[in-house]
Amino acid sequence: MSIVTVQLGQCGNQVGQQLFDSLCCDAQDGQRKERCTASCERFFHQNMHGDLVARAVLIDMEPKVINQSISRAAKSGRWRYGETSHFSQKQGSGNNWANGFCVHGPGHTEVVEELVRREVERCDRLSGLMAMMSVAGGTGSGVGTYVTQCLRDIYPKSFILNHLTWPYGTGEVIVQNYNTVLTLAHLYKLSDAILVHENDTVHQICSQLLNIQQISFADVNTVIAHQLGSVLQPALTAESHGVYSRNPLGELVGALCCHPEYKLLSVSTIPQVPSASMAYSSFSWPSLLKHLRQMLISNTKMEEGIDWQVRPPAASERSRSLTAGSFNTSLANVLILRGKDVYSAETAGFEDPALYTSWLSSEEAFSVWKSPVPFNKYEKSATLVSNSQALLSPLDSMVGRAWNMFASRAYIHQYTKFGISEEDFLDSFTSLEQVISSYKQLR
Amino acid sequence: MQRSAAAVSVEVKQVIAALCRLLTTSGLESVPAPEQFRRAKFGGGPEVENQFWQLLATILQKCSIVSCEAIAGEHRKLVAAGLWQTGYHADWMYEQGGEEGGEGGRFSSKDLLLALGWLLASGTLEKLLTQRVEQLDKTLILTPTPVNPQLSNGLPLDSASLRRLQWLVGSLRHQGRTLLSMQEERTRLLHAVSVASLPSSVSSSSSDQSSTLLKKDCVCMQQLCDLLEAYLNWTQVEKVFWTWMDSVVDGHLTDPVVKKPVEAPNNRGRRCRHGNCGLEKLEDMLLTLPTRQKGQRRVREAPEDRGEGGLLQGRSDSCLHPLSGSPRLPSCPLVYRLKTERPVRYNSPGAHGGANTAEELPASQAAELLLQTEALLLERRDRQRLANRMQLQEMIGRLDKLVLIPP
Repeated sequence: MSIVTVQLGQCGNQVGQQLFDSLCCDAQDGQRKERCTASCERFFHQNMHGDLVARAVLIDMEPKVINQSISRAAKSGRWRYGETSHFSQKQGSGNNWANGFCVHGPGHTEVVEELVRREVERCDRLSGLMAMMSVAGGTGSGVGTYVTQCLRDIYPKSFILNHLTWPYGTGEVIVQNYNTVLTLAHLYKLSDAILVHENDTVHQICSQLLNIQQISFADVNTVIAHQLGSVLQPALTAESHGVYSRNPLGELVGALCCHPEYKLLSVSTIPQVPSASMAYSSFSWPSLLKHLRQMLISNTKMEEGIDWQVRPPAASERSRSLTAGSFNTSLANVLILRGKDVYSAETAGFEDPALYTSWLSSEEAFSVWKSPVPFNKYEKSATLVSNSQALLSPLDSMVGRAWNMFASRAYIHQYTKFGISEEDFLDSFTSLEQVISSYKQLR
Repeated sequence: MQRSAAAVSVEVKQVIAALCRLLTTSGLESVPAPEQFRRAKFGGGPEVENQFWQLLATILQKCSIVSCEAIAGEHRKLVAAGLWQTGYHADWMYEQGGEEGGEGGRFSSKDLLLALGWLLASGTLEKLLTQRVEQLDKTLILTPTPVNPQLSNGLPLDSASLRRLQWLVGSLRHQGRTLLSMQEERTRLLHAVSVASLPSSVSSSSSDQSSTLLKKDCVCMQQLCDLLEAYLNWTQVEKVFWTWMDSVVDGHLTDPVVKKPVEAPNNRGRRCRHGNCGLEKLEDMLLTLPTRQKGQRRVREAPEDRGEGGLLQGRSDSCLHPLSGSPRLPSCPLVYRLKTERPVRYNSPGAHGGANTAEELPASQAAELLLQTEALLLERRDRQRLANRMQLQEMIGRLDKLVLIPP
């Protein structure tokens, strides 16, 4: 069972390269051969010389980042990208979603589809496709959305997971909120699940937990790759009967995103410590899980600054849940535990029905995956993938800012000249408002 | 008229033959010959009756409506019980006590024919077919039969249940996709195995084995094709069969009027015990209205005798005439209505079979009929408009000094 990754744009190509690096590193470090094989089958294939080749397609409108990623992978000596599985152009999308979606995407459909098809045909069984991109720029968001649409057409039965990197709230690109709104609204119709990393959150983790002074994109990407890797590496699930699950994307989507109105997933991982102090830290499962649970219900993205006052509302308070305030209601959660003594870990705290909506029982809403193999040098680590209200407030403020700009017709002509009309904008706003309202009603 | 009637009877015979073929290919033994159907319609006697008893019993058993194997004499009771479970009611079903099938005179093979019609119309045929297809087609992923296909009326319809339902549907869809991908993988592996093993093992025993398996599969596939073909043939001519069945019902409905008074005292005593007094009274009241009904029935039988499209053809004819612009409009709903209502008024054994055909056919055709009507009316409207416009222009042409500016 394999996953084919499509890396799109500058961000997607950087994060993707980092992800494969940490997956490969982790798989080869592990003593357990069984998991190593499972992991390699999932993300790599072997070429004629016996090298591990990532099941990935690299797409960008500029050659620079792709070349960097390819050479970094080759330099690692452990794995590489396929010789011909990349596509780039000379001219970028200029941070314009419309340029990517209406011009660059359609212009190169056939080449891109052919690249993906070749990768898919190399798999004995396709578990699904993962498209990695940012939502701020033009290529990742615009071309990425277009490519996702093509993938949906060609592989209607496959699972498609989109990994999105949300930009800093302060902004790298002036029209990033437009790009985000257009991307999210389109992907919501195409994708099975949308897994989100916010740059702001990851940045905080870098500065406060990992004590990094000068935070670079590489540091941010390493954190994202670590979190993503701990979700995607093989694990034992309830349905896999003692062998490593062979259907990672299907099980993730099936556990978290069965309802068409709820597709936004957030990830939090614990512990995260600087590699220098790793040797001096020790963790116990009860304490890790207690922290993780409180992070979930108080919607804190790291183990520092957790608000311990937040409690799940009692059954009687549920109906008038306006009082719930800062409590973060979940629709569904997947808890992934990796490391020593993993079978002794007690996860009952996450099975509390008060954490979930009234219309889904906690047995349906919560699942645990376990693996006795430690991940990425952490003796014990727990990752929570959550379909909850966690992304509601950043989404709400992003849509709000985009709407303010749209109300004053700022930069609209940049989009209309490529064929995105004001109607399209309004449609996107409408569908995102629906998403926001659905998540607000989650109780 | 005579010739067309003969042609119709030939056609009916072919249609019944198609049904028989379908029944046989869907795994039923002892299907009566088409000729027996005709004989049954006119009260074929014990030999024909026996064949139909047998057929009904096997159908009911195959569909697991009744479970136990029929012992020689018992299968009539079994059939009655099975029919009762499918919602069919007829007087003869209650009369069996001592006299085995109520041979006292009222019961005839026509009753069995009607019961068969009821079973076919209520979807038994499709059930049989599905069973047989599942037996033959080994590549099908067998879906477990739904536990409760009918949603109960007490189903909560609040938004929470709706969301939960949406979640469950999504979950099933994901599972389906996973299963599909598993099947694809299996196919691919099987293909790899067969490609790898083919050249080396042409004469080995394993290939013999696999070839017998293949032959078996081939036979299954052939049977499957035959079955589907038979079903296809049947669905194309089904209409004719139901028209014919309608004539059976009609024939049946005329009978009780004559026979009832002879049997009545005996029957009445019996049914009062079941608390059916009210029903009896109603029936008596209804029996005082035979003349009117007969008159109405004639209106409707006329097109049927013409055959061809039969029932529907007749109905659409009588409906469309008034629409094409004649004063006969009011008569149309009367005739149309009569069909659906009559079985209710007439609470006699055949009524249920009749009710079924009468209800199903208009439902499937009503939309078509309405569309036709709409098209006709639109066309008439357009023609009228055109005429009006011409007239107006003519009038304007006559008014020389007046200048009209069109809107």
